[in-house]
Amino acid sequence: MANQKPGKDNFTRNLVVVVVVGVLLIMVGGTFLSKSSKPSAAIPASVSSSNGYGIVFNGDLKNVPVVDIYEDFQCPICQQFEKMNGDYLESLITDKKAKVVYHTLSFLGQESINAANAAACSADEGKFLSYHKTLYANQQPENSGAWSNDVLVVLGQAAGITSKSFTSCVNKMSYTGWVSNVAAAGAKANVNSTPTVFVNGKELDRKTEYFNPDKFKAAIERG
Amino acid sequence: MKKYFPWAGLLGRLILGGVLLAAGLLKYQHLDKSQMAVRAYELLPISVANFFGISLPFLEIAVGVLLVLGAATRIAAAVGGSLMLIFIVGISQAWARGLSIDCGCFGGGGQVAPGATNYLPEILRDSALALIAIYLFRYPQSKLGLDRNTSNGEQING
Repeated sequence: MANQKPGKDNFTRNLVVVVVVGVLLIMVGGTFLSKSSKPSAAIPASVSSSNGYGIVFNGDLKNVPVVDIYEDFQCPICQQFEKMNGDYLESLITDKKAKVVYHTLSFLGQESINAANAAACSADEGKFLSYHKTLYANQQPENSGAWSNDVLVVLGQAAGITSKSFTSCVNKMSYTGWVSNVAAAGAKANVNSTPTVFVNGKELDRKTEYFNPDKFKAAIERG
Repeated sequence: MKKYFPWAGLLGRLILGGVLLAAGLLKYQHLDKSQMAVRAYELLPISVANFFGISLPFLEIAVGVLLVLGAATRIAAAVGGSLMLIFIVGISQAWARGLSIDCGCFGGGGQVAPGATNYLPEILRDSALALIAIYLFRYPQSKLGLDRNTSNGEQING
């Protein structure tokens, strides 16, 4: 302190240094443990760990383009992307023209995690695509409190999901472990923005191909 | 003149420490995004970038707390200054290579629309902070710190 004499021992200061460094070392260690992927986490229907824990459609098709979509349900640009290309992507799935893999990332906070978990629950009910659409149609500003689990259950009803198992899956956050596995796989795949689209493992050109439906179609058909 | 140095040191500690603490805490809220921000610099192998993205917020918080408290000022200033130099190099290379990224300095980060970048102000800010760090390394004595001899104007080590 201001009037300490030279030579007085530095006990307080050393203690503070040790405590600060020690606490943060423990925290960083704990974080690495919690971030490492958990192969034992429950995974929803139609998810394949070999596809980066994504939700897979037409996984059995051969000789079709593989489209990987990384998105965050809270991301406004993902909503624009969905408006522009969502129906086309659905038609690829229903017409069996492509294998499509959805990766629901959760960069934007707790409500993204809630939404990704609920989307996984909808996959169990075979309603992922309609729930996906409903979420984007009802997107609110990020983390504004709009996507509590109660609201996500109601949105499920809007998407035609009425089962009790969906309600309890959403409320229990049954797929939190899976959500963090998806995030970890996205990090390994070097996804630095949402939406990000890979066709046969190659990222589309962000400047031209994402928000121009004709170019987007061309890029997918080119494969 | 020299008698004002401890006050300047206190001010420098609070600015550099406060900025690092804020930056670390904001990143800590969204570690996925912090990893993404580091990857977007396209400078490190992905696994190393992910490691750095998780570790950096904790390092910033530790250095920030030590600077604010004035504990081990000299070492903390050296680490803080090194971080600023790394940030300046990272941002400069992103700018030079024409990447369009947010620096992710205070959370956020990742790719942004071309034209939405903000490289020059980021580099100037980090340069100013680096100068503060250099000052604190050279003159670590300061008012209201935990380091011994903090205000008597003598050089101390550590």
